[in-house]
Amino acid sequence: MSMASQNAASVVIEQLSLAYDTTDVLKDVNLRIEPGELFTFLGPSGSGKSTLLRAVAGFGPTPRGRILIGEDDVTRLPPWRRNVGMVFQSYALWPHMTVRRNVAFGLEERRTPSAEIPKRVDAALDMVGLLELSERRPSQLSGGQQQRVALARTIVVEPRVLLLDEPLSNLDANLRVQMRREILDLQRELALTTIFVIHDQEEANTISDRIAVLDEGVLQQVGMPMELYDEPVNRFVAHFLGTANLMEGRVETGDDGARFAAANGIVLPLAGESHPAGGERTAVFRPQDVAIAASGETVPGIVLTGRVQHREFLGNLLRYSVAIGEDILLVDDTHHPGRRAFAVGDEVVVGLRGEQVRILEP
Amino acid sequence: MSLEAMARGQWGPAAVGLIVGLFLLAFLVVPVVNVIYVAFQDPNTGALTLINFVDFFRNSLFQESAINSIYVALMAVVLASIFALPLSYFTTRFHFGGAILIQTLGVLPLIMPPFVGAVAMLLLLGENGSVNLLLDEWFGFTIPFMEGLNGVILVESIHYFPFILMNLSASLNSIDRSMEESAQNLGASGVRLFRRIVFPLAMPGYVAGASLVFLKVFDDIGTPLLLNINNMLAPQAYLRIASIGISDPMGYVISVILVIFSLLALWISFLALRGKDYATVQKGGGGLMKRDLRPWEKAGCYGVVIFILLLVLSPHFGLAILSLGTVWSFSVLPDAYTFSHYMRVVSESSEFITNTLLYAGLAAGIDVLFGTAIAYIVLRTNLIGRKWLDYAAMGAVAIPGVVLGIGYLRTFYAFNVPIIDKPLASWWVIIVVALAIRRLPYALRACVAALQQLSVMLEEAAENLGATKGRTIYRVVVPLMSGGIVAGFVTSFATAAVELSTTIMLVSQESDAPLAFGIYEFMQSAAGRGPGAALGIIAVLIVGIATYVSHRIIQRKETQQTPDMAIVAGV
Amino acid sequence: MTMKKTTLFAVAFGLALAVLAAPLGAVALEKKLVIVTSYPPDTTTTVKKAFEKKHPGVKVEMLKKKTTAGIKYLQETASNNRSDMFWASAPDAFEVLKGDNLLQKYKVKIKGIPKKVGAFPINDPEGYYKGFAASGYGIMWNTRYLKAKKLPEPKTWADLAKPVYHGHVGMSAPSRSGTTHLTVETLLQGKGWEKGWAEWKAIAGNFKTVTERSFGVPDGVNSGQFGLGIVIDFFGLSSEASGFPVKFIYPPVTTLVPANIAIVKNAPHPKAAAAFIEFLLSPGGQEVLLDKKIRRLPVNPATYAKAPADFPNPFKDKSIGAAVKFDLQLSKNRYNVINSLFDVMVTYRLSDLRAATKAIQAAEAQMSGKKNMAASKLIDEAKALVAKVPITAAQASKKEFNAIFKKKRKKATTKVTGRQAEIEREWDAQVKANYAKARALAEKAASML
Repeated sequence: MSMASQNAASVVIEQLSLAYDTTDVLKDVNLRIEPGELFTFLGPSGSGKSTLLRAVAGFGPTPRGRILIGEDDVTRLPPWRRNVGMVFQSYALWPHMTVRRNVAFGLEERRTPSAEIPKRVDAALDMVGLLELSERRPSQLSGGQQQRVALARTIVVEPRVLLLDEPLSNLDANLRVQMRREILDLQRELALTTIFVIHDQEEANTISDRIAVLDEGVLQQVGMPMELYDEPVNRFVAHFLGTANLMEGRVETGDDGARFAAANGIVLPLAGESHPAGGERTAVFRPQDVAIAASGETVPGIVLTGRVQHREFLGNLLRYSVAIGEDILLVDDTHHPGRRAFAVGDEVVVGLRGEQVRILEP
Repeated sequence: MSLEAMARGQWGPAAVGLIVGLFLLAFLVVPVVNVIYVAFQDPNTGALTLINFVDFFRNSLFQESAINSIYVALMAVVLASIFALPLSYFTTRFHFGGAILIQTLGVLPLIMPPFVGAVAMLLLLGENGSVNLLLDEWFGFTIPFMEGLNGVILVESIHYFPFILMNLSASLNSIDRSMEESAQNLGASGVRLFRRIVFPLAMPGYVAGASLVFLKVFDDIGTPLLLNINNMLAPQAYLRIASIGISDPMGYVISVILVIFSLLALWISFLALRGKDYATVQKGGGGLMKRDLRPWEKAGCYGVVIFILLLVLSPHFGLAILSLGTVWSFSVLPDAYTFSHYMRVVSESSEFITNTLLYAGLAAGIDVLFGTAIAYIVLRTNLIGRKWLDYAAMGAVAIPGVVLGIGYLRTFYAFNVPIIDKPLASWWVIIVVALAIRRLPYALRACVAALQQLSVMLEEAAENLGATKGRTIYRVVVPLMSGGIVAGFVTSFATAAVELSTTIMLVSQESDAPLAFGIYEFMQSAAGRGPGAALGIIAVLIVGIATYVSHRIIQRKETQQTPDMAIVAGV
Repeated sequence: MTMKKTTLFAVAFGLALAVLAAPLGAVALEKKLVIVTSYPPDTTTTVKKAFEKKHPGVKVEMLKKKTTAGIKYLQETASNNRSDMFWASAPDAFEVLKGDNLLQKYKVKIKGIPKKVGAFPINDPEGYYKGFAASGYGIMWNTRYLKAKKLPEPKTWADLAKPVYHGHVGMSAPSRSGTTHLTVETLLQGKGWEKGWAEWKAIAGNFKTVTERSFGVPDGVNSGQFGLGIVIDFFGLSSEASGFPVKFIYPPVTTLVPANIAIVKNAPHPKAAAAFIEFLLSPGGQEVLLDKKIRRLPVNPATYAKAPADFPNPFKDKSIGAAVKFDLQLSKNRYNVINSLFDVMVTYRLSDLRAATKAIQAAEAQMSGKKNMAASKLIDEAKALVAKVPITAAQASKKEFNAIFKKKRKKATTKVTGRQAEIEREWDAQVKANYAKARALAEKAASML
């Protein structure tokens, strides 16, 4: 594909802070995104993820700190001189122009030789499969088609970085899966450095090479999806990526190694050796790492007894909320046809193993 | 401007803002201050004082005038609402044949100088006008339509009700059907639906129109004077300023009071609207809800519409008859009919027509240019003082025409324009400037509304693809605002074409005079009444056709763009 | 629009040409003439056409202003004057301009113009302004209106005060119209201060309206809004000539005064201005005045030979306008005070005045044929209250008192006490109280009958 971009660039964000009036929106963000990487800014609304993306594109107030694209410091460059392609959440197609003119816009602004423009526009439209709709107006297109036009309009100018702000949020469930795949194929084909902004963690996990988790303007953790899931550095990340059981307590050093003494009296032996004692800590473990059995049966690890308070059927598994004393533990049990399920009110035992517990850094 | 703003490529907007600001300063603020200043001078010593205001508030004539002015303005708002409500509601909420025609006809009263309307209304509805002569003959009684303040209220409300009609229609048009459907779903219908959902949602448009009517009536001079009503504030100001020998600063004091009252009305409408600017077009919304009428309903609605149109267009009918009649005196209709008035006007006065097209066209052009610039600066930049630019431009609506005219004469007469070697105050360009300043608020509101509906993302997308701010404005902002810009242009053009209160003070030679001035001149002699009326009809035709055509253009644009505008605005 | 551009260009080009051509044709007229005038287009266009035909090189610009606004315009623009001539009716307007040193003396070359028309000198004795036509004030009425309402035709000013005309009369205000000012002043001079005002108020009590412009009166009569109006002759005559069902008469107490023209000081085109005056007074120019849209009385007696049969000729019919010897100096001295008094007593208090008058007329109607001393006394008292004027004739012409009403602020050295607004407020309070009391007295008298 002729359009394949050879100029995929890294994006480096250094000590970036940004404030609207007196409200800090981004606080000292440091990041490096590799050339060709599929990267995601993930966080709840108001976390600053969109602001960060817009800062890369050059929108919003000028931040403190630096943004480098490739070797170039773009922090003070206006948007039109950054060569960063952005696909807006609402697509932002211009209603007064046809599809073709929308797509040609960026090329025209870049003073591309006029003989070349139609060819490149056709190529881009062909790539998103909309060549035959090129004379329509955006209002005559479906949501998915509009999304494709927005994509074509952006990639036709061969940006060094592709930014996508919640690209799938305006689509219905089926279309979403399809579009996701198309975008990924396109990205792979063009080998573009791509940054998504996404609020849905599952979607982020499926798409991204790496994810940066943001909350209240602070970068919480950067890593591959699995890393973030398995080794969250704090409660927020633990909670935001998947479901987690959290327990407050202290790490103590006992005779047989380190152990976690929870505030509710439960004591968990900890695997591994690097657990310095003392101080308030939080223990994290995932629901699928807890075993569940009927009262009286055996389960591995520390055994706690409790009562099923709530049950959700999620297709491949059953999620129980088990009341243990004052606390509620979430426990996942895989589901197969014929396998018995506990009812609300049943007495159960749950088993916890130390090696599956992660102690968060203070 | 902050360093940051410069870095962000706001040099362009800042420079434009500065130019617009200087223009407003030179042609609005300075002249008005020049007039207001007199109100605070002791008439004998020239020292600064408030004694003139003490004199004003102690004078029973002025107290009476103030009360009359407020009464007339309020009653005119009430009557104008009665005219505007059915017209706008029927044409926007039902499938109603000829809606565009009705809307256009409904705007016609605005494009006739009110003093011309008053002449025609006197002939039709005056004490010895056609209607009363007939009533007297058939039933032996007459109705004092035009007696005293009644006449002022009737003429003013007919002239200015289109302000309510236009704003209310725009509001009603922007109510999404889901709003009404959900109300119907919850059990509301008919009058209750209108009262509890539709009207509150349309309120911003109504208040905007009503406050404009109040302002205009409150400031109007021509109509009360033509009907020989002196005891109102604006005529008192005019009489005291324009009459030689009466040197006292009372005219200026009244001007200040008029300005204060007008600002107050603006402020009240601003308060009433704050936080109520409902963005009601929903994402994926179904657009407007239009309903079919049952035949008998339709007949009723058409009846009401036709009655109102007949009434509000009666000045036009009167004028048309006058322009074709030979002698019309104490009789139901003229004695005979002739085309000679038109012949005379066309052969003698085509200059008035070309001047009007030139002046109103230039003024409206300046208005939409500045309106777009100010709207952009206010909504899209963070330049320091941008709000003041907006306030100053909007403030022009509160400045009575006489005040501006006198201010110009005072400020610019000593200033000679190089090359043509004429005082600026008597160069025809100053008329264009005055018209532009007077009509800027209309164009500005239209531009601001258009830009507000435009998602910023459409601009960001352009910048992202390499278009500079300037290119973005040229290729994306202006084309998408074009509906609003055209609407602003039409309103400015149509109303500027019939403006008299400022131009009458600024026309320094007949060859520079616009239509309204020409009509006024013709109407000053016995043999000139017919030609004056003919000129009036020509004015109405020109402006009316221009308005209708642009209505059609806007309509076409809207049908093209509405669906995606909804999506854009919904995000 | 190209017209404007070419004008610009032509001006620049013309200037260059003028410089080149100056030594060649020293007596040629300037290319342009700017006239500030209070006359309607019917008059100005006709005269302009005739003049431009005679002097094809000159383009005449007519700048239409009401007399009062015209004076104000010339005063405001004096520092940078662009006007050549002032052309209007009321001689006192010219007196004001002369007083402000805004006019240029000119000596007329044409012969055959008499010294006086009626009792009035045609030209300014000091030579600043020239009479070109005579105007007298009178009464016009709508014949259809009078017939429909069964009203008699009036003959004198006093007739207009009769109860039968209540609510049927219209007039403009002296502060708004120079000609109306003269009408008011004429009657005051003819009848004396107290009697004159008493008669004016008796007439004004019958007013339907006080119009804002002097043309508002003929306009109202022509269209039948009211039946009778107090107007200057050419309004009445031209309305009649235009086909309206109206009639005009001169009452005995009137004055013929010249309508005038003058050259403005520092006029940019003085030669063209002089030519315009000479033209206006020439037989050709004077004949234009007889046009049925204009109808003014020419000052050149020879012109009347060409006038229509029923055209009034003041040089033959000595009854027109000779009864009052108009004192221009007196009129000038109290100009502003008269305006202000009339506005306070009549214009702004018309409804109060009308109510009082109506009550008096009603009481008198009941009185007729009866004898009741007490009631008669009450009615006389009421009439006296209505007629009462806040100041005396002597006071009205006092210099210091008039200074309060002057347009221009005096130098700091001139001591002026009192403000116009303050004085008018006092007058207004008195007048309002008097009218209310008069009405009460008249109603009381009526109840006694």
